[in-house]
Amino acid sequence: MKKNFLGSLLKYSMLVIILLFLLFPIYWVLLTSFKSNMEAYKFPPTFIPESPTISSYINLFTKNNAFFVYYKNNFIVSGFTSFFTTILAILAGYALSRFKFRWNAWILAVLLTSQMFPVVSRMISLYDLMGDMGLINTMPGLILALIADMLPFAVMLMTSFFQSIPRAVEEAAYIDGASRMGILYRIVTPLVKPGMVAVVLYAFLMTWDDYLHAATLIQNDALRTLSVGVALRYLGELSYDWSLINTISIIGTIPMVLLFFSFQKYMIKGLVAGAVKG
Amino acid sequence: MKKFLSLLLVVVMSLSIVACNKTPGTTSPSPTGQGDNKESVTIKFANYAILETGYEEFWNSVKEGFEKKYDHITIEWVTAPYGEIVNQVINMAGGGDKVDIMFAEIGWTPTLEDAGLAVPVDTILTEEFLSDFYPSILDAASIDGKVYALPMYVSPYVLYYNKDLFEKAGLDPNSPPKTYDEMLEMAEKLSKLTTEDGNKVYAFGQTTASVPISGSSLTSMVYNFGGRVLNEEGKLDVDTKEFKDAMEMLKLLDEKGYNPQNAKLKDLRNLFALGQLAMYYDQSWGFNGVSSINPDAKNFTASAAPLAGGNGTGESVIEAHTLVLMDNGEKQKEAVRLLVEYLVTPEVLNDYLADITPAYPARQSMKDIEAVVNSSVLKGAANSLDKARPTPFIPAMNDLNLELTTLAQAITVGGKDIDTAIEEFKTAANALID
Amino acid sequence: MVSTARKIKKPLLKRSTGDKLFSGILVLPAVVITFIFIIVPIIDSVIKSFLDFRVKNIISNQPGTWNNFENYIKLFQNQKLTGAVINTFSFVIFVVALQFIFGMILALILNSNIKGARFLRSIMMTPWVVPTIISALIWMWIFQPQYGLMKYLVQVFTGGTVADFAILNNPSTALLGIGIAALWKQVPLTTLLLLAGLQNVPDDMLEAARIDGAGKVRTFFSIVLPYMKSVINVSMTMAIISNFKQFPLIWTMTGGGPDNSTTTLAILSYREAFVSNNMGSGAAVTTVWMLLMLVVVFVYNKLMGETEVD
Repeated sequence: MKKNFLGSLLKYSMLVIILLFLLFPIYWVLLTSFKSNMEAYKFPPTFIPESPTISSYINLFTKNNAFFVYYKNNFIVSGFTSFFTTILAILAGYALSRFKFRWNAWILAVLLTSQMFPVVSRMISLYDLMGDMGLINTMPGLILALIADMLPFAVMLMTSFFQSIPRAVEEAAYIDGASRMGILYRIVTPLVKPGMVAVVLYAFLMTWDDYLHAATLIQNDALRTLSVGVALRYLGELSYDWSLINTISIIGTIPMVLLFFSFQKYMIKGLVAGAVKG
Repeated sequence: MKKFLSLLLVVVMSLSIVACNKTPGTTSPSPTGQGDNKESVTIKFANYAILETGYEEFWNSVKEGFEKKYDHITIEWVTAPYGEIVNQVINMAGGGDKVDIMFAEIGWTPTLEDAGLAVPVDTILTEEFLSDFYPSILDAASIDGKVYALPMYVSPYVLYYNKDLFEKAGLDPNSPPKTYDEMLEMAEKLSKLTTEDGNKVYAFGQTTASVPISGSSLTSMVYNFGGRVLNEEGKLDVDTKEFKDAMEMLKLLDEKGYNPQNAKLKDLRNLFALGQLAMYYDQSWGFNGVSSINPDAKNFTASAAPLAGGNGTGESVIEAHTLVLMDNGEKQKEAVRLLVEYLVTPEVLNDYLADITPAYPARQSMKDIEAVVNSSVLKGAANSLDKARPTPFIPAMNDLNLELTTLAQAITVGGKDIDTAIEEFKTAANALID
Repeated sequence: MVSTARKIKKPLLKRSTGDKLFSGILVLPAVVITFIFIIVPIIDSVIKSFLDFRVKNIISNQPGTWNNFENYIKLFQNQKLTGAVINTFSFVIFVVALQFIFGMILALILNSNIKGARFLRSIMMTPWVVPTIISALIWMWIFQPQYGLMKYLVQVFTGGTVADFAILNNPSTALLGIGIAALWKQVPLTTLLLLAGLQNVPDDMLEAARIDGAGKVRTFFSIVLPYMKSVINVSMTMAIISNFKQFPLIWTMTGGGPDNSTTTLAILSYREAFVSNNMGSGAAVTTVWMLLMLVVVFVYNKLMGETEVD
């Protein structure tokens, strides 16, 4: 009994410590965003705002509202990227899981290794390349680069999903005279819906996080995405406006939180399936 | 779905064909001003400041005013974060897309020249226009006798101090320190102060964080002591007592807890704005950052000339915001000339220098403009410009500055012995210089 | 099903060529894109690492010139590389190890029938969706040397003896500070994956172990861990790779300082290529970096593979 009690004490205190570590910083940022700059700079810090104010939010939405553009751009970029990534990943993943050819091993090896290479190392050449294709400073250019960045993981994830679907279904359809494309489109794809959703969300989240690609390939402020925009607008050279920074941190995270919580069932299932089977 | 997929395939394939054709070896067409329409010209202006609060309004009014005056010319902004705009401009040029003009720190000049982007300003601007600029200031932007960046306005490293804190510590708010020794005496008193909520007051701020501008500020501190980092040939010259004196001072400031550790200029500006920092070195326009945090700061802020230390006489480094010009053909050059001549005038710059970016004009005819004469912030340090010296330029300027900050960090937060740290600095710096 | 397929012999032959074509077409777009945008730039970068290739070359469109391994020689001579390798490895080992430990602890707790486990599992994921740049800002704010939360907490917990705790300003703790931020963002995903792995351990095995009288600890090591092998493998490989590559977090938080104590290979290559504008030298760093990463992943998989035999 005593041992059990100690055990659960240990358990719950570990739980509390880890959860505090994970969640308190978010509370802290939220809190700071409701403080005035002068209060934010108080030491010792206040744990409940003395005079809560939404002036940073007002400031952000009225004066420093450039982030709306970054937001919109990021939705466009992330949306297209995750859409195309998913389609390409379905095609490639299906092929890699269903048809056993010598090249499969090579392709998987290439995908696996290409995932490991640092983005910095390809930025210079990528810039050259995009320049030659006239894609610098365009959204399609950025989207293409990001698709390439997302593809390896997405393809591997999709491959593992397809592997979990029994072949019997397809064999039957094939004998019934269905075309290969038809089998893929009408029969197999619906079965891997959770995987699709997972890939879409994964690509969306990861491209929402992208900094280096957007920083290098885009110079036009009207086309910038959020991370770069935040670094640019709110981390200027002149001074740190911490309550504004905390406010944009909250605003910049909210869409991802909403997205994640609305689709977390798929997301978790997808990621987990990918990892458990992969 | 099927149709869509095949369409997608076609798109991807055709893209890849384009890519394969063009990737290696092919030379992309050289950029020239295109369009036969004589009238309309678009100037690409690389400018990080357009996106910073406090600057945006000014630059937009420049664009507006200029385009109104010359309705055949349009300004197109090219933007990037401060720390990345040089790479951006270089990358763009690499992709065949060269900007026409860039708003730059003077320290970026050698990189842009080395890259083959900056052209001597006299290839675009008239001799008459240039003759109005202080020769010493133009010198500061010269490489091998040619001016590669046109200073818009300049600043030494000014010593800002907080008059209220001086008073609180029983010091005369109208007689700031002139030497490091005087400063140390005052610092002792100032460091005993606390703010209203009981927080520490730092006595003296000198930036040492890992950004190039901190290295430039550290160079200025070496100048204060009569030393230098590079000699006229652009070789390292740090085996001097003066250089070591400056480093020892930095260590002392750290040991006494006077200097906020590892701070960026913007950290210092924040602390100063909050009354937690009594004195600090900054470019004159750094005050803009101070007042954006605390609008009341102008009531307690005063400036003084850089301190003299050891054998030095209080020399400092000239900082300037400059315009770097690039060559994209005659038509573009002509438009750039008009823009520069429009921009660097009392009419355009007066309000900017008065309210946004306190600084000293680079043109002789602007010496007495209202903005400078009436500025309470600038008054105290007005004569220090005479003692400000240019730094020799080397292509690896940014990197050298970063190595300097590493040195400063090694002897302060790193707790390394000064001689060892200087030796390490020399090894690293020499590798950059040849 | 297999037997029916065998019966139809003629289409089978045709089918294999058809399959080949079909599968080839399906993988082609992904392969082409990966090839153009990842493989080609990487090969290009490796080539550049042997050349004297600077900004000038980019702008004037001149190819670099062979410089007899000088990029590499210089890097090894001025010892920057060694420091960066050490920093990178310390960072990766620290973050990956702690991530595994914290993730495992949290996963075990959440898997132990506590109330609200599902809810906790959801909300604990929040840090994972925070963009990296923003997580850097959050932690910079917490670590702020003059008015940061961390300074206050340390002051309180040490009874005021440590009054000026600034984790990012001290060369011996700065990497730790970034590690904490990295952990914060990464622990949730690891926990989630490990939790899934735990749930995959068959109950009857656990039951059998209990009947055999095996203790909790013993059950964990001899049954649970082996069953979770592939999950651990995948999540740790992901963690190793992403921390090896970590760039925006470090660049935003410290820029490689103080005194180069947070200059990892990522920071060094960026600095060489984009601050010193020496693309050749930057490419040399990334080449060394890529090789190291391959070695690490290979060794890791080898190790994991060998334990599997036992």
